[in-house]
Amino acid sequence: MSLYRIFINKALTGLLLVVLLATSNISFAADGEALFKANCSNCHKPDADYTGPALKGWSDREPNKEWLYKWVANPAQMIASDAYAKQLFEKWKPTVMTAFANLKKDEIDAIMKYVDDYTPPVATAQAGGTAAGSDSGGEDNTLLFGILTLTLALVAFILLQVNGNLRKLTDDKEGVNRGEPVPFYRNKMYLMIGVLVLFTIGGYNTVSGAIELGRMKDYQPDQPIYYSHKVHAGTNQISCLYCHGSAQDSKHSGIPSVNVCMNCHMAIKEYKGEPIIKEDGKTLDANAEIQKLYSYAGWNSEKNEYNPDNNKDGVPDGAHAIPWVRIHNLPDHVYFNHSQHVKVGKQNCQTCHGNIQEMPVVKQFSNLSMGWCINCHRESKVDFYNKETKEGNKFYSIYEKFHTDIKNHKLDSVTVEKIGGTECQKCHY
Amino acid sequence: MKKIATFGLLVLSAAIVFVSCDDKRNKPGKIYMPDMTYSRAYETYAERDSAMFTNDATNKGGKIFYNNIPVSGTIKRGELFPYTLPNDSNGYKMSAMVKNPIESMTEAEMKESARLYNINCAICHGEKAAGNGPIATAGKIGGIANLTLDSYVKMADGTMFHSIQYGKNSMGSYASQLDRKQRWMIIKYIRTLQPKAVVETAKADTTKKI
Repeated sequence: MSLYRIFINKALTGLLLVVLLATSNISFAADGEALFKANCSNCHKPDADYTGPALKGWSDREPNKEWLYKWVANPAQMIASDAYAKQLFEKWKPTVMTAFANLKKDEIDAIMKYVDDYTPPVATAQAGGTAAGSDSGGEDNTLLFGILTLTLALVAFILLQVNGNLRKLTDDKEGVNRGEPVPFYRNKMYLMIGVLVLFTIGGYNTVSGAIELGRMKDYQPDQPIYYSHKVHAGTNQISCLYCHGSAQDSKHSGIPSVNVCMNCHMAIKEYKGEPIIKEDGKTLDANAEIQKLYSYAGWNSEKNEYNPDNNKDGVPDGAHAIPWVRIHNLPDHVYFNHSQHVKVGKQNCQTCHGNIQEMPVVKQFSNLSMGWCINCHRESKVDFYNKETKEGNKFYSIYEKFHTDIKNHKLDSVTVEKIGGTECQKCHY
Repeated sequence: MKKIATFGLLVLSAAIVFVSCDDKRNKPGKIYMPDMTYSRAYETYAERDSAMFTNDATNKGGKIFYNNIPVSGTIKRGELFPYTLPNDSNGYKMSAMVKNPIESMTEAEMKESARLYNINCAICHGEKAAGNGPIATAGKIGGIANLTLDSYVKMADGTMFHSIQYGKNSMGSYASQLDRKQRWMIIKYIRTLQPKAVVETAKADTTKKI
């Protein structure tokens, strides 16, 4: 009986292995493109040098096919023993190709066939670029309405004058003598209207100006480097917290030090995206901005390394911090903590800072007024702890009254205000 | 004469009412009580008064020494001990012997590691660690490691940590963005994304059954 079972087990596992191997062969065999993308494309492009050389035209450069098989299986060993491999290494060092011992000969053949047959796709970027420009329908119409109002007022004024003249003419014809008409600038009606209009507009401007005193909404200063959030957070989808990580842990959302920029810009030396149009309408020389970064970082872009630290101050020679201009500033008598809002409150950065990922140069999106803070505290719901499902922030389990209220269906959610989010000393102390 | 004066006054007041400042993009605007708006006390990133402070420890010249860097040899309470292997080829080799101080993670810790991985690593290495993040697929940085490859499955935790600490090839150091514990946690998380050396475990299983 047991012998029988062992036999079946063996047969089954054998079958399983056969099926596994067979399927893996089917899915890989001869699909050069898929193989290339899975194994090679991180370092090689078919038609251009990348981290490694362009693969197209390999057969003209390399000694023979056998050499290629050996190289792919173990580049490090080839560099040690083979002259051509050594020459390759000298050109591309310090990077050494990863060994792909698992690639079979026919798979390598398939990849190389794909590479040789590769033709770059026809560029379609042009169409996308022009489409973006025409989308400006929702512009500010204030000027248009202003001109319209002024024209209408002028027309009304002329019509009134014409009316006056016509009446004078008919009066003359009918022989009624009303005396000399009062000129418009001495007409008390006109003067009264004028004064009222000026008073209203002037009063409105004065009051709103006084309210706006000390608020810096729309402040959009030029920065020492034209750093585009649109390119980094928008196009390249880098998380806000990649650079501003301290927003999770501290009061401040920190400005990244230069080494964080260099994480990517050691490798990204030039800008190849769509041209960036500056606020003054000129096209930005983005590569010059990257060079500015290199000078702040003390990076030698020709040698591909940091400058030596000869003066022993802990940073490469010539490196210094970038003097970014601060945009958001709360008065000294307000306490605001980023980590509380980002980590506990789970707020998106965009809630307060606007669509940063669409701003080439950052501007202050909110007015950071107290009313604005309070309003959000009144409306936002906290991640209240649900005792039954055990979901939510466990800290809130201490609010006994709200728990009973929710249980008795008196409340359906708890806002920040309810847990003391609008008390003065939360922010002023 | 009086007429002209009245008219001029009217035009002037109208001008004052209607005209506002134009280039306000570069100016923060007017404030009252500047000593409340701009802190007297030192604030983060504010420039220090060079007449009172210096960051040159050897030549203080009667000034206060401050350079934002913690005193060397000190660590935060509860923080993991520093990683001492040097950034050279020997240190890289030795790093394989360093054990991951985190043995297991709770579900919440795993979630947090995934979050940190997605913020800091996935941009290049991809959400599934297959080396296909947005930066990689756009062809902006070459040579991004596909962490699901066999060589990375076999790579020791310590070696991974070494690379995160000091950077490797095109990758920079992440020591300033992730603290030591977070780095070890992320390595643990990467292990869950990697395939479990498929062929060998399958073989091992079959031998067990037989």
